[in-house]
Amino acid sequence: MERRAVRPRDNWQQVAAEHGFTFHTPDGERYWDETHAYRFTLREIEEDLEDPAEELEQMCFEVVERAVADEEVLRRLAIPEMFRGYVADSWRNRERNLYGRMDFRYDGNGPAKLYEYNADTPTALYESAIFQWVWLEQAMEQGLVPEGADQFNSLHERLIDAIGRFGIDGPLHLACARDTDEDLGTIEYLEDCARQAGLGTRRMFIEDIGLSDDGRFTDTDDDPVRWLFKLYPWEWLMEEEFGSRIPGSDTQFIEPGWKAVLSNKGLLALLWEMFEGHPNLLPTFFEDDPKAASLGGRYVRKPLLSREGANIAFVENGRTVMDFDGPYGAEGFVRQAVAPLPSFEGRRPMCGVWLVASEPAGMCIREDEGDITTDDACFVPHFILD
Amino acid sequence: MKRSGKIALVMMGTSALTLTACEEPKIDTAIFETVEQCVAEQGLTAEQCYGEFDAAKVQHAEVSPKYNSRADCEADFGAEGCEASPYRSSTGGSVFMPLMAGFMMGQMMGGRGYAQPLYRSGDDRKAFRTAENRPVGDKVGRTQVSERAAARPAKKLYTQRRGGFGARARATGFGAGA
Repeated sequence: MERRAVRPRDNWQQVAAEHGFTFHTPDGERYWDETHAYRFTLREIEEDLEDPAEELEQMCFEVVERAVADEEVLRRLAIPEMFRGYVADSWRNRERNLYGRMDFRYDGNGPAKLYEYNADTPTALYESAIFQWVWLEQAMEQGLVPEGADQFNSLHERLIDAIGRFGIDGPLHLACARDTDEDLGTIEYLEDCARQAGLGTRRMFIEDIGLSDDGRFTDTDDDPVRWLFKLYPWEWLMEEEFGSRIPGSDTQFIEPGWKAVLSNKGLLALLWEMFEGHPNLLPTFFEDDPKAASLGGRYVRKPLLSREGANIAFVENGRTVMDFDGPYGAEGFVRQAVAPLPSFEGRRPMCGVWLVASEPAGMCIREDEGDITTDDACFVPHFILD
Repeated sequence: MKRSGKIALVMMGTSALTLTACEEPKIDTAIFETVEQCVAEQGLTAEQCYGEFDAAKVQHAEVSPKYNSRADCEADFGAEGCEASPYRSSTGGSVFMPLMAGFMMGQMMGGRGYAQPLYRSGDDRKAFRTAENRPVGDKVGRTQVSERAAARPAKKLYTQRRGGFGARARATGFGAGA
């Protein structure tokens, strides 16, 4: 693994416009950054990232198995009481899942370590699947990257294939919250994939979902929402006004309810409890677990339900040395052993491994300046070349 | 190779334009304002006509667009263009729907269409429209319509309330994605 300077394509902004990539420079801040790229060997990709992600996914399934059989586990994950049966049923009914992203600490030496699993509402999907792919093709064509390079990225093919396998028999509704360009870009891309899978689609905002007199969710045409891809976290859906109507509705959610178990930082504590010492795991404990003391006074404190780095704190000698503001934490915390992001010329990459229908399907690298990857991070493309 | 063999976008970006222009497949059907017109059409039996008309009539209440007030309904379907539906709102008030202006036959000559009611909108009195608001021409009798227009219309629900999701996105000011 190395970070290489690469000359940007002269016309990349035009290429972005042609491909519908509208959020590459949000608020004037660079997000897409092709002045550099990370090079990996095929062995690094396959043995250190792809295979571990596949194995971890199977371990995650064992956690879900355990959670749905033991209400106490769902309680520890702060899943509201009225949703515990719903989450368990979604798993027992084998509701399919579409995608997720496991974020790893990796620097090319030693095993990748799982920081967390964005199993419910990951973004950066479009730029991983499409724009990164187009970059490599053009960069090779223009001699910016050596001929014969490859990329860990079969996302596009796999997404279309996976969406086609849900057995969706009516239109697929895709919803995100208003005023979020990046989220909108993600559902636009998934809508495109769904069309290519032969489905009818309707895009809408989560705020516009209606509730009918017979307890079904409706779109703005008063048509029933039978299949809903929601880029909106389960824990928010559960606690909002219409949340209590989810179990009685006939809407099939994508991601399914059981993803609430995996998108929770408590997953990391449960994984460690069940697979202690696994090379791809960091020691992690629920804060109220006496074993958390084994981490001593140096750990990372993460709320069960935070996103984009919010409310994460670094603790040393029992004192918070760095923390990130945010609205989370009332639901509880985990403590995770410290494994600082590697530094490549002062930049701090995090490797996100994508899974589609639970199979590893690609990778994205987001670089930030500090120890925490926030929504200010840049997306830096990668290629494989031995 | 560990990457996709090819990439195509059909909706995003400028590539979408070339792929949406292709014409939709059409199917044979017939449109009538009354069941009598249908019986008079050569090659159709009274039994067929009444069967399809009844099927459309039953669906009318289910698939037609619904409104909280007659005025809202008439804004879309014209003066005297609406009637009370068999449904009640949560507060016990009437729910309105447009009058059925005709019906479209389903199984014509082995076609895969679906018998259904038709409507006429206030700003386009000539054309018949399906409950999904797809225009299917203004001609009574045998015709061709797009496969999509002839598909089974979805049951329209009466939406009591909206806005029950989204509060956390507003409150946190953070994107929902991660």
